Amino acid sequence: MIHKLKRWQTPVAILATLLGMAHAAHALRATDTAHLHYVSASGSLLYEEGGATGTLPGSMRVNLNVGATLSGSFTIYTRGGSIKGHGEATPHGSGVYESFAGSLTATGGSGRYAHAHGRASLYGTFNRDTYALTIQTTGTLAY
Amino acid sequence: MRRDTLLWATPLSATPRRVTPPSATPHRATPLRAPLLPATHLRGTLTRALLLAALLLGVCPLAAPPVARATPSARLGASFTPERLGGRTTLGFEFQILAPAGQVPPALTAVDLSYPNYLGFALSGLGLATCTGETLQAFGPSRCPANSVMGYGHALAEIALGPAIVTETAPITILRALDQQGHFALLFYAAGNVPLDAHVTFPGLLYPAPAPYGGSVDISVPLVPSIPGAPDVAVVRLRATIGPRGVAYYEQADGTTLAYRPPGMLLPRGCPPGGFPFAAEFHFLDGSQTSARTEVPCPPQGRPVRRGAHLL
Repeated sequence: MIHKLKRWQTPVAILATLLGMAHAAHALRATDTAHLHYVSASGSLLYEEGGATGTLPGSMRVNLNVGATLSGSFTIYTRGGSIKGHGEATPHGSGVYESFAGSLTATGGSGRYAHAHGRASLYGTFNRDTYALTIQTTGTLAY
Repeated sequence: MRRDTLLWATPLSATPRRVTPPSATPHRATPLRAPLLPATHLRGTLTRALLLAALLLGVCPLAAPPVARATPSARLGASFTPERLGGRTTLGFEFQILAPAGQVPPALTAVDLSYPNYLGFALSGLGLATCTGETLQAFGPSRCPANSVMGYGHALAEIALGPAIVTETAPITILRALDQQGHFALLFYAAGNVPLDAHVTFPGLLYPAPAPYGGSVDISVPLVPSIPGAPDVAVVRLRATIGPRGVAYYEQADGTTLAYRPPGMLLPRGCPPGGFPFAAEFHFLDGSQTSARTEVPCPPQGRPVRRGAHLL
């Protein structure tokens, strides 16, 4: 379906674009560590939450698919708002503790971080016995 | 902390029993840091039984054996025991290679077994320790950590001796190995005694697979020679389980070794339309390949049952 822009809508669209650029003017080099604990699971899907410390302290919730690779979505709750995104990692090592490395992408959020975006490196360990998860992220967040 | 395991684990006895760790299963805190065998390894000797059988049958090893010329077909079976959505389970799988009557299929060289999406393979509490191919090949599974055992099974092989077909059954132990380049790794150990005394170790690696599958276990099957001039041994049937059935794990608590049963694979809370899909591709020495599919039907709601698509 094609919408015709009304005359007043064009300036609004330009303004919105400028506002978006203004939002992206903030860039933050962030390093955070989250210690997550098991909440529930269904098949290979894990739901975990816990505290995060570092540049953006707060709490974190993760939906993780522990399959041949690790993939999932996350939400970080900070005092200024929340940041959402997704990530993927490859496991290494064996036994009770699996380490993993990969990347995550911030795709939005709320409050101060409503327009958050960026990429970060992702490292961590997964305890296959208790399902405890430690995640370290380092990257640049634009908002 | 063992909160999750305590929630799900079923002790071998009503209360966890104090046990002395079996001397045959040394529990090393540090996994043996040796790579998987670079290729499948085989230790075997022709037994008197096989030679005697060849002599009794008047076999000339160079005579044309009854090896199948047509591409073999395959059947695949899978089961969950119990099958309760959202619950823990033992995965059973079996395959059968079918050749024309009176013929032995070509030697199986690889099996790629795809399993359903969202099957909690890595959350099973199985494979908390690892074993190496070298240890297996030198000493057998009794020298591997008990917490590396993931399942058991049996394989049936056929050996063409002239016009006759000799069969051999070998028990199989499935163990966890060190991950290989980011892939969850398994080791299969098969020990046959009669008529062929062969101890075979071969690897299986987990790879991602496209939907509706969650992953694929790619198993490399080694060639097992029979008698000189005769074709290699052909695996024609395999039946195995991965899960807590028949598996005992051990943990240290307050200086005591406790035995427990690992939780097992976690089934998703929902059943995919049409059931849980499995598929397998079989590759043979002569370059041919075949495939098979099956589904484990969705369980009736509210009742845990043993469900599956069985071959036998």
